[in-house]
Amino acid sequence: MLIKNGLVYDPLNGIEGEKMDIFVKDGKIVESGDGGETIDASGFVVLPGGVDIHSHVVGSKVNLGRLMRPEDHRKDPVPKTEITRSGVGYTVPTTYITGYRYALMGYTTVMEAAVPPLGARHAHEELNDIPMVDKGAFILMGSNHFVMKYVAEGDLEKLKNFVGWLLKATKGYAIKLVNPGGVENWKWGRNVNSLDDKVENYGVTPREIVRSLAKVNEELGLPHSIHVHCNNLGSPGNSSTLIETVGSIGAEMGGPGSGESTNETLKGTAERIHITHIQFNSYGGEDWATISSAAEEVAKTLNKKKNATCDLGQVIFDDATTMTADGPWQHKLYKLTGNKWYNSDVEMEVGAGIVPYTFKPKSLVNAVQWMIGLEVALLVEDPWRVVLTTDHPNGGPFYHYPKVIAWLMSKKAREETLGKIHKSALSRSTLPSIEREYSLYEMAIVTRAGPAKLLGLKNKGHLGVGADADIAIYEFKENDIEGSFSRAKYVIKDGEVVVKDGRIVKEHWGRTFLVNPKGELMDEMKEEFSKYYTVSLDNYPVQPEYLPRCEVVPCR
Amino acid sequence: MRLLLNTGRTVDQGVSMERGKTSSEYFEKVAVAFIHPDDMKELGIDEGDAVRIETDFGSTVLKCVKGGTEKGTIFVPMGPWANVLTGPNTEGSGMPSLKGLTAEISGTKEKVTTLDDILRMLGG
Amino acid sequence: MGEVYKNVVCPFCGCLCDDLEVVVENGKVVSTKNACPISKTKFLDHSKDRAKPQVRKDGKLIEVSMEEAINKAAQILKESEFPLIYGLSSTESDAQRLAVELAEFIGGSIDSTASTCHGPTIVAAQGCGAVKCTLGEVKNRADLVIFWGCNPAEAHIRHSVRYSVTPQGMYVRGKKERFIVHVDVRETRTSRMADMFVKVEPGKDYELLSALRAVIKGYEVGDVAGVPAEMIKQLAERMKGCRFGIIFFGMGLTMSSGKHMNIDAALRLVRDLNDHTKFTITPMRGHFNVAGAGEVLTWITGYPFAVNFSRGYPNYNPGEFSAVDLLFRGECDAALILASDPVAHFPIGASQHLAKIPTVVIDPKVSLTSLIAEVVIPCAIAGIESEGTAYRMDGVPLRLRKVVDSPYPTDREILEGILRRMKGC
Repeated sequence: MLIKNGLVYDPLNGIEGEKMDIFVKDGKIVESGDGGETIDASGFVVLPGGVDIHSHVVGSKVNLGRLMRPEDHRKDPVPKTEITRSGVGYTVPTTYITGYRYALMGYTTVMEAAVPPLGARHAHEELNDIPMVDKGAFILMGSNHFVMKYVAEGDLEKLKNFVGWLLKATKGYAIKLVNPGGVENWKWGRNVNSLDDKVENYGVTPREIVRSLAKVNEELGLPHSIHVHCNNLGSPGNSSTLIETVGSIGAEMGGPGSGESTNETLKGTAERIHITHIQFNSYGGEDWATISSAAEEVAKTLNKKKNATCDLGQVIFDDATTMTADGPWQHKLYKLTGNKWYNSDVEMEVGAGIVPYTFKPKSLVNAVQWMIGLEVALLVEDPWRVVLTTDHPNGGPFYHYPKVIAWLMSKKAREETLGKIHKSALSRSTLPSIEREYSLYEMAIVTRAGPAKLLGLKNKGHLGVGADADIAIYEFKENDIEGSFSRAKYVIKDGEVVVKDGRIVKEHWGRTFLVNPKGELMDEMKEEFSKYYTVSLDNYPVQPEYLPRCEVVPCR
Repeated sequence: MRLLLNTGRTVDQGVSMERGKTSSEYFEKVAVAFIHPDDMKELGIDEGDAVRIETDFGSTVLKCVKGGTEKGTIFVPMGPWANVLTGPNTEGSGMPSLKGLTAEISGTKEKVTTLDDILRMLGG
Repeated sequence: MGEVYKNVVCPFCGCLCDDLEVVVENGKVVSTKNACPISKTKFLDHSKDRAKPQVRKDGKLIEVSMEEAINKAAQILKESEFPLIYGLSSTESDAQRLAVELAEFIGGSIDSTASTCHGPTIVAAQGCGAVKCTLGEVKNRADLVIFWGCNPAEAHIRHSVRYSVTPQGMYVRGKKERFIVHVDVRETRTSRMADMFVKVEPGKDYELLSALRAVIKGYEVGDVAGVPAEMIKQLAERMKGCRFGIIFFGMGLTMSSGKHMNIDAALRLVRDLNDHTKFTITPMRGHFNVAGAGEVLTWITGYPFAVNFSRGYPNYNPGEFSAVDLLFRGECDAALILASDPVAHFPIGASQHLAKIPTVVIDPKVSLTSLIAEVVIPCAIAGIESEGTAYRMDGVPLRLRKVVDSPYPTDREILEGILRRMKGC
C-alpha cells in the first residue's frame, strides 16, 4: 500500500508537516513499496493511529456501569450494518461500539486502565469483543493484600516476585494504583486522607505503597511506569496530595523535591510515575464553595520533575458515568449527588464504585474542573509528558476527544466555551489568560506519539520503518477542528483500510499487549492464597484461551 | 380449605432433576405438596394421601408430605406440577407469580397427576 | 486407576465451587470429592438420559442425523418473523455470545432465565444501584450474615461452608464470630444454621424492609409483617452495629408480591446502612452461569435480559420482551431454547405457546421442553464435556473444565452451525 502526498506529522521521528509518501506491507511501515492499493492523501494530514493511555472500556466495573444505565443507552442506539454489529453508545458504549467509535476517530490502541486481578478473565473476554483496536489491561495493585503485606515487611524482593507473577497471571500490561490503601480501608467503610495515614490492619501508608511499587516497577523493567490515581481524588484542596505523591518518587536520587532530569531518567532506570486524570487531583480551595484551580502549581511541579507524566481526565460538558476503583470517593459522590450508586468490592484486592453524573457549564465546580484540565495541558511545557484523555467515561465519553483537541489548538474555541460557563469560575483559574495554542505537531504528541512512548510501545505512535501500520488520515479544517478529528478520512489498521470517509468499511481484530516480567509465586504466598481467597489458585491465572491474539512487549 | 401456596427449590428436586426429569425419582420428589400437620388434620388426610390443589390458573393432584411449611401455607417444589398452579401474568415485570398464590386444597381419591397428564395439558 | 481432575469448577449453581475432585475412568465420571449431592449427581449421571437428535414428523419426534436437526433448526428460524431465543444460563459465555449474535442476525428477542429468577433484582438495581462485594469479602470480613427469602441449605448447598457461615476468614474466624439471621416465610433447613429466625408474613417483605429502613433512620415502628416491633428494633441495631454486614437474598423476594419493589427496598436499606458501617448485598443466583448470561448480554447489547433486535439495534423492556410475557401473549412464532428447560419451570400458561409454535431445543439431556419440541439437538454438557467461562453469583469469572469427551458437539459449535447455515442461505 502507498499513501501518497499526505502532509505527515510524525513527532517521534521529528517529522512536522512534511509532504511525503508512506509505504505499507504486511501490516508494517516499510521503506519502499511495489504497488498495491494507493491512497491519495493530497491535502490531508497523515498521523500515526491514536493511542489512548487511560480509558475504562471493559470489565466488571464498566459492565456494571452499562447494566445500571438503560436510560443512558436509550439515547444512543446503534443499528447493525452489513459490516458492523449493533449496540449502544452514549456514556458507556457496548464493546463493539467502543471499537468502532475509537476507529472512526483514528484511534487504534486503547488501554483499559483498571482491571481487578480476580476479574481479569472477564476483562479479557470483553477485550476480545472490542474490534478495530489493539489493547491492554492495567492491573489494580494499590490495595492488594500481598502488596501491602510485603510493603509492611519492607521485603521488596517478595513484592517484586508477587507483582511480576500477578502481571503474568492476569495477562496485564502495567501496574495501576487507585487511592492506594484507601480502597482497603473502604472495606471497613473508611478511607485514608493523606499520604501518611495508615492502612488498617496492615500499618502501611499510601506513601510507602506508591514508593515501593514505583521501585519494583523499574526493577522489573516494565515498559510503562506505575500508573497512579492519587489519594483524595475529587476533593477540594487535593493538589497538595498530588504534589506530595509526585515528590515522593525519585526523591532519593537528589533529596526530597528533586528528581530533575538525570542520565538515569534517560536510561530508564530511575523511578517514574504517571499521574492519571490529573484534573481530578488539581483542586485548590478548602471546600466546594471555595474550590479553585491549582493547575499552575501542579504544572510547576511537573515542569520540574521530569520523571513524572500525566494524562488530563478532561471534563466535557455532557453526561458521564463516573466509575473508578476508588470506592470511598464514589460513595462520597453518591452522597453529594443522590444519584444511583453501585459499589463492588473484590476480595484481597480492590473495590469499585459507579455513579452517573452530568457536568454542567453553569455549575461553578464543574466549570472550574473543565478549566483545570486544559490549564494543565497548556501550562506543562513539555507535551511529551501530557496525554489527552477524559478518563472515559468519568470526565465524559472518549468520542469527545476532538472537542478537547479543538480547545487545545484554538484559543477561540476555548473562549466560546468560557463564555458559557459559570461566571465566578473565570477568576479561579488562569485559563482565560493563557495564549498558548497547540500546533498540529503538539496535538500529534499528546494523542499518539507521547502515550505510545510512555507505554513503551515501540511500534506504535509513529510512522517510521518497522512501525505497525496504524495510520489515521484526516481532512484538517482550521475552522472546524472538532469535526476534522471526529471522522477520519481513512484509518489504516495493521495495513488494512478499516475506515473510509468516516465509515467503518472493515471489521478488524486487534491484539492484546502483555508483559512477561520475572516473578514466581512462593510457597508462603500459595498457602495464604488458599486460606483467604474463595477460588483455587489453580483457577486464578487467566488461561491462554483468553488471549487468542496477543503480543508480548519486552521488559526494558 | 384455602391456603397460601409457595413454590421453590429443594435438594431432592435438584438431585432428581439431575437424575432425569422423566425419572420416577423426579416424580416422587417433585409431584408433592408439603402441608403443615395441623392443616392436614383439618383436611382429614395422612402423609402420602393425594390432595387436589386448585388456583386461579389450574388444578393438579399431588402427594401430601407432612411438615416443611408453616400453618396456613403449602409448599410445592418448583417443577411441572407447580407450573400448573402458578400464574403467567408478570404485571409487566417479566417475573411470573410463583409465590404467595391463593390455593384451594382438598383430599381426593384421584391419582397423582402424571408427567404425561401435564404434557397433554400442554397440548404437546 | 482413572484420571483425577483437581479443582474442577462445578457447573450446577451460582456458587461455582471450584474445589471439586473428579475421577474419570473409560470416559465416564466414576467418583467425585467435595461435591454437594446435586453436583455429584450431575457428574455421575452425566451420560444418562441423554437427548438424541430428533425432528417432529407427523406429530412424533423421530431420530435424525445431527445435520438434519441443525438444518431444520436454521430453517425454522429463517421462516420465523418474531423468534425468541431463551435460556442461556447453563452454558458457557462463548455460546452465550453466539446466541446474542444469532438473535441480532435474525432480528428476534433474547432472554435468559434471569427474567424468572433475578430479573426483578436487575430492574431494581437499575433504579438505585447496589452495594455488592465478592464472596471472599464475606468470608474474610462479615460478622453479620442475613439470608432473606432464600434457602441455601437446599438450593446453594455449599454456600454456607465455603463463603458465608462457617469458613475461617482473615478477620472472622468461623461461625462463632458471625451472627446469622434468616428471614423467610417459613422455617427451613437454612433457619437451623441461623442465630435468629425472623418469620415474615408471606408477601410482606417490602413492609418489613421499609420498617427496618425507618428504624435505621431513627423512626419508631410498631409490629410489621407479623414481626414484633422489638425484633425489628433488635435486627436494625445489629445491622447498624456490625463491622461488615451482608444480605443474601433469593426468590422469596423476587417472586413474591412486590417483585422488583421488594428488591428496591432491600438495596436502599443496604445503601442507607453504609452511612453507619460497611454493608453489602448479593443475590443468590440459581443456574451456574445465569450471571454470565447477564454479563455477555450487557457488554454486547447494553442490556442484561429481555432484549429485542427487531429494529436492528438492541431494545430492552422486561414485561415486553421477557420470555414468559412473549409466550403468554402468544407473540413469538418460533423459539430456540438453549441451556434451560422452560417447560419444567414456567407457568403452564406460558409453556402452552411453546408447544404450539415450532420450538428448537438444544440440551444435553431429555428435558421437558424437548418433549414438546419440533427439533431436538443434543449437545455436550458445559463444564463436564466442554470448556468455557462461567460467572459466579458475585460476578467472579472462572474457567469450566472438560473432564470427559462428549458424543455431541458443544453449544458453541451447534450455534455456529445454525448461524453459518442462516448466513449462507
